[in-house]
Amino acid sequence: MSHHLPVCGSVEEPLYAVGARFDTPGDLIKAVHRLRSQGYSSYECFTPYPVHGLAETMRLPKSVLSFLVLGAGVTAILIALSMELIPSTLIYPLVVDGKPLNLSALPQYIPIVVALTLMISAIVAVKGMILLGGMPRLNHPMFGWDLFAKDASRGFFLSVEASDKKFSVSGLTELVHELGGGDVTAIHLEAPEKD
Amino acid sequence: MSTPTANDSTAPDLSAIARPPQVLNNRGPLWVTDAVCSIVEGKTPLWWYAAITMSGGLAALGGACILYMIVTGVGVWGSNSPCFWAWDITNFIFWVSMAHAGSLISALLFLTRQRWSISISRAAEAMTVFAIICAGVYPAIHIGRVWFVWFLFPVPNSYGMWPNFSSPLLWDVFAVTSYLTVSSLFWFAGMVPDLAVLRDRATTKIRKFTYGIVSLGWLGTARQWRHYEMMYVLLAGLTSVLVVTVTSIVASDCATSVVPGWHATIFPFYFMVGAVYSGSAAVLTLLIPLRLAYPQLKELITPSQLDKVCKLLLMMGSCVAYVYVFELFNAWYSANPFERGAFWERFTSSNAWYAITCLAINLTVPQLFWFKAVRSCLPVVFVLAILCNVGMWFERFMIVTTTLMRDFIPSSWGNFHPTIVDILTATGTIGIFFTLFLLFIRFVPIVNMSELKAALPGSQPEHSTEEGH
Repeated sequence: MSHHLPVCGSVEEPLYAVGARFDTPGDLIKAVHRLRSQGYSSYECFTPYPVHGLAETMRLPKSVLSFLVLGAGVTAILIALSMELIPSTLIYPLVVDGKPLNLSALPQYIPIVVALTLMISAIVAVKGMILLGGMPRLNHPMFGWDLFAKDASRGFFLSVEASDKKFSVSGLTELVHELGGGDVTAIHLEAPEKD
Repeated sequence: MSTPTANDSTAPDLSAIARPPQVLNNRGPLWVTDAVCSIVEGKTPLWWYAAITMSGGLAALGGACILYMIVTGVGVWGSNSPCFWAWDITNFIFWVSMAHAGSLISALLFLTRQRWSISISRAAEAMTVFAIICAGVYPAIHIGRVWFVWFLFPVPNSYGMWPNFSSPLLWDVFAVTSYLTVSSLFWFAGMVPDLAVLRDRATTKIRKFTYGIVSLGWLGTARQWRHYEMMYVLLAGLTSVLVVTVTSIVASDCATSVVPGWHATIFPFYFMVGAVYSGSAAVLTLLIPLRLAYPQLKELITPSQLDKVCKLLLMMGSCVAYVYVFELFNAWYSANPFERGAFWERFTSSNAWYAITCLAINLTVPQLFWFKAVRSCLPVVFVLAILCNVGMWFERFMIVTTTLMRDFIPSSWGNFHPTIVDILTATGTIGIFFTLFLLFIRFVPIVNMSELKAALPGSQPEHSTEEGH
């Protein structure tokens, strides 16, 4: 593919995406609007902090994390109750002071249910955030782009993947410049390391 | 309600109720990044080495005492009949309670959209995690034969043993375990984007590698932020519930027994308000010197934010005062001679100085925070905050140990005298706490940069404010 953009990564490797940098979150949102209206679908935005309205502009669905955590919480309640009730009533009944152990004594089992439910839900929330966010990962083509990798907190970045059906280097360059962005760069994949 | 415009001559002057700035001097996001990262990236100051040597020394001494206790037996402590619970449980409750303000400041104030707490939430969460670690030192070792600690957990075993789930002591195991897990997760997960900033800025290979691993390959994509923000709300909700649960469970250790002075339904509330009170004091104790050590923090952790922590301290201190009065009233009103006797002994026996010190501090010191002059003079706030924690330690001791000294039968009454091992183990936990906090200052961003940057004026696109996001 011929273009006159600054290049990062290895030119022998396939082009991964075209990246651009915007100074303000508002410009980035405008760029996303424009990309959507032109029919682009494979693009990603990188921001140093959560930008209000960006995900809505990108039409990202609501995070499924809340459902996962609800599921985890309900499962945890069942696990905790069976962990307490089955051994205490059936396997190792331990009668202290003649207190009942079965369901009629449910309140005494609740504190542990609460503690375990909160713990398991929290673990799933964090694990879910990590996995849904595509983490943990050791590398990403974007890290080959020095401007991004050295100081991603210094701007609002956009990458449009070369796999997009509408992908056009000249069209993207024009779009970015028109909206006040800059540093348009062709991001190639990195050459595999040779020993 | 219509928004008053500049042309509207009847528009009220809103400057008086305008929110104080999040960061002073109109600093922008880039300044915030530089200011916070410079603490980690700059040269290690000399005071840091001096401080960690001291705290590490204390921690090591405490560790040695614990080892000595384990190989010798709990007899090396002053705990004895009738005070089977003494400095071990006092310190456990003291530390686990102190942890609570950290969760409250970061989680509950986040949920209620109290933006002022953003700059201090990370340090408060760190304090939470480290205080729980200090609390966690005691439960395992105080059982005496520490190698049997696995009996506490429901592990299927050939002895046919199973924990007694109706015992609050076992609830404690689960509560503290889950509190440590959840607050560590909350602390770590909130830190991932900031660790990624440190990774990007790293100049040496070791730093790049280490921060690269712990930041999990964070890119800051819109998708990642979407899940991250959802997770943050969820964890804040879970943590807020957990705070109340954990203190209530710890309070139940005492309240479900029949010992006069313990057997009271007010105990969960009693422990909760005391917890937030001592934790707010601990936050002030840590942040005020931190601002001195790193002047750039003076613009991030503003006097107005510290003022609000002081007000939180005042409110909780007043709740504590209310509980003290109510407890005494209840003892009298119950007409139960044992209950009345327990409180009479608490204030008249030879051990009365514990209770008197506790009341003298906790009824007076927080009330000084009614005065703006006191709240705005940070050296005074620092001293008063330390005093509050001393008062809270005495409160925990008063509740746990002086109550045990005097129960139903005068023939079983006794006194408690701490041994040197008791004292050095307690100072050891203080050493552990400060060692961890010093490491925290040096190696991770102590202010939640991404959350703070997102809340700075002008950091969000114009249209979003109109939609009320």
